Amino acid sequence: MVRLRYILIALVVVGLGLLVTVYFSQSEEKRVRKQFDLLSEYVSRDPDENTIAMAHNMQKLGSLFGDSCELKIAVEFLSGTYTREEIASYAARARARFPKLSLEFLDLEITFPENGFAKVSLTARLTGRTRAGEQMRETRELECLLKKIEKKWLFNNIEVIEVLRK
Amino acid sequence: MGKRIRQFFFPSLTPWFLIRICLVAIFAYLFFGYIFIPIRIQGTSMEPTYRNGGMNFCSTLHYLFSKLKRQDVVAVRFAGNRVMLLKRVVALEGEQVEFRAGKLFVDGEELPEPYVLNPCNWNLPPREVEKGCVYVVGDNRSMPIENHYFGQTSVKRIVGVPLW
Repeated sequence: MVRLRYILIALVVVGLGLLVTVYFSQSEEKRVRKQFDLLSEYVSRDPDENTIAMAHNMQKLGSLFGDSCELKIAVEFLSGTYTREEIASYAARARARFPKLSLEFLDLEITFPENGFAKVSLTARLTGRTRAGEQMRETRELECLLKKIEKKWLFNNIEVIEVLRK
Repeated sequence: MGKRIRQFFFPSLTPWFLIRICLVAIFAYLFFGYIFIPIRIQGTSMEPTYRNGGMNFCSTLHYLFSKLKRQDVVAVRFAGNRVMLLKRVVALEGEQVEFRAGKLFVDGEELPEPYVLNPCNWNLPPREVEKGCVYVVGDNRSMPIENHYFGQTSVKRIVGVPLW
């Protein structure tokens, strides 16, 4: 009877431990997802966005990245390591060409390969309209690495997966 | 007769009926979600074989019963689970592929391509298909080579084949 009691207590403790682990890991996953939601919000724009809102978004966009972020894409001259200021600057220039722009992140698969790092595989969909009125729609698979710095998840590495290589 | 018609369109919500509905829903979800995936074709890279705006199903079980071979049309997972590329396999792993004046050569021999209706003048130096990969190209070669998205891809990215 006493032995059964100890077994039950042990099971309750293990169960509670599992619940706490699941809760905290889900919380980290939510925090990582939140960063992608913010990135999507800051990159997207409406035609009626004013200059102050644009500047505010670009400043906030920069704060989502670490001191340096490595970008790997098929276009060689665009690949490299960029500071957050450079990223904000290039993003602002690129955004200015599209009066309407929408960035969505779908099918996020988040893993934590080691403490303080989050690896995310996802689909990114960019749709918009150029100043000339042309519709643009691009979908790509990305692999991102985020690093936890001072309790914030910051983008450290972004790779555009090349599916077909000539 | 009237009662039967009424029962057909407005069935009684018995527990057995609800169980049947759930089973049908689960079966449909699994069947059309994982076995015969409905696809809508966007783009012209596979014309005239598959036209822009066309509908089809991607059969994911095809390669359980057969091996991947040249000239198979395959669906390649492009981004996530929603976006696929429809392309034709022209070379398998270890083979050398090149384009000379619009003609496709595999291991130095010209490959007949009756599905290519528009002639092209593509030139691409020879390259070997890596291990675990296949080389895929669209049937529509009427655009410049730079505008056609093709190349080698991992076999693991091949989801299945179009049903027709």
